[in-house]
Amino acid sequence: MVNLKIAIFKPMLKLAMERTGHGAALGFELTKIGRGEVEMTFPYKSEVVGNPVTGVIHGGVIVSLLDTCCGCAAITTLTRSMVTPTMDLRLDYMHPAEPYKPVFVSAKVYRDTSNVVFCRGSAWQDDQENPIAHCVATFMKVETPSISFGNIVRRNLRRFILGKKVYEQAGDK
Amino acid sequence: MIDQELKLGLMAARQEFSPQQIVDLIPYSHFIGAQAKIEGSEVVYWLERRPSNIGNPSLPAIHGGVIGGFLELSASIEILYSLDVASIPKVVDFSLDYLRPGRYKTIYAGCTVLRQGKNLVNVAATAWQDDVSKPIATARCHFLLP
Repeated sequence: MVNLKIAIFKPMLKLAMERTGHGAALGFELTKIGRGEVEMTFPYKSEVVGNPVTGVIHGGVIVSLLDTCCGCAAITTLTRSMVTPTMDLRLDYMHPAEPYKPVFVSAKVYRDTSNVVFCRGSAWQDDQENPIAHCVATFMKVETPSISFGNIVRRNLRRFILGKKVYEQAGDK
Repeated sequence: MIDQELKLGLMAARQEFSPQQIVDLIPYSHFIGAQAKIEGSEVVYWLERRPSNIGNPSLPAIHGGVIGGFLELSASIEILYSLDVASIPKVVDFSLDYLRPGRYKTIYAGCTVLRQGKNLVNVAATAWQDDVSKPIATARCHFLLP
């Protein structure tokens, strides 16, 4: 049963992250989903440039990527129906990203308590040992069954599988 | 775009008191849909709701990363507009506290330059939705001046 849960969960998380809302707009790809460990790849895009002279992507994109990656890692540690909103996120930019190169992001949960999940993440281009940014993020565990990830998936199962955009229907409340 | 174009664009924006012109220079601001205007003596940034900024589709709520990116963008535009710099400042660190969920509505942001040193600038940014006294997130960032 547990294995079946995980087997369904991984592609669901991948689809939910890559195909809806801001994840779809950014166009990253989740390359690894493990318990408390998530990796993803973001290809270079000219739409997200922050410095029009050099073509370097904006720091805000790195914020989005690391927030998503750490958030995914936090979700993977949950055993019950819960949501994990971000409490705080702190980023250090070691050096600017180089233009026209993909960005790799990885996140790891290093402490999982009953109320809070602590994550660490880093973003790099050529060398994982020499990251462009490093972050720490903490997530709250909140028990609100109606908006938990599992229930969203169940409610939108058909749309997720068909790849239709969920927010079109939810957008105009 | 070449360096000179950016310099001229920044100078024109400051002369015409139009922070929106600086916003228009940065492609990322179009990606998330950020805008800026002057209200009284301060610059107010805002982000209208759009489907591509949603993080949790079932609430729906704005993506936490978009709020972070928007505040970082606002902080850098505040520097470009209020200080006399000729190129885009480099961000050194960024710290963000989420206080309330970002509902699917317009987000506003205001920034304050807390300290300007020779090389470093510290900026505080706050985001709110309906009520200024109920912020949804606050951020603090350091920028390295070019």
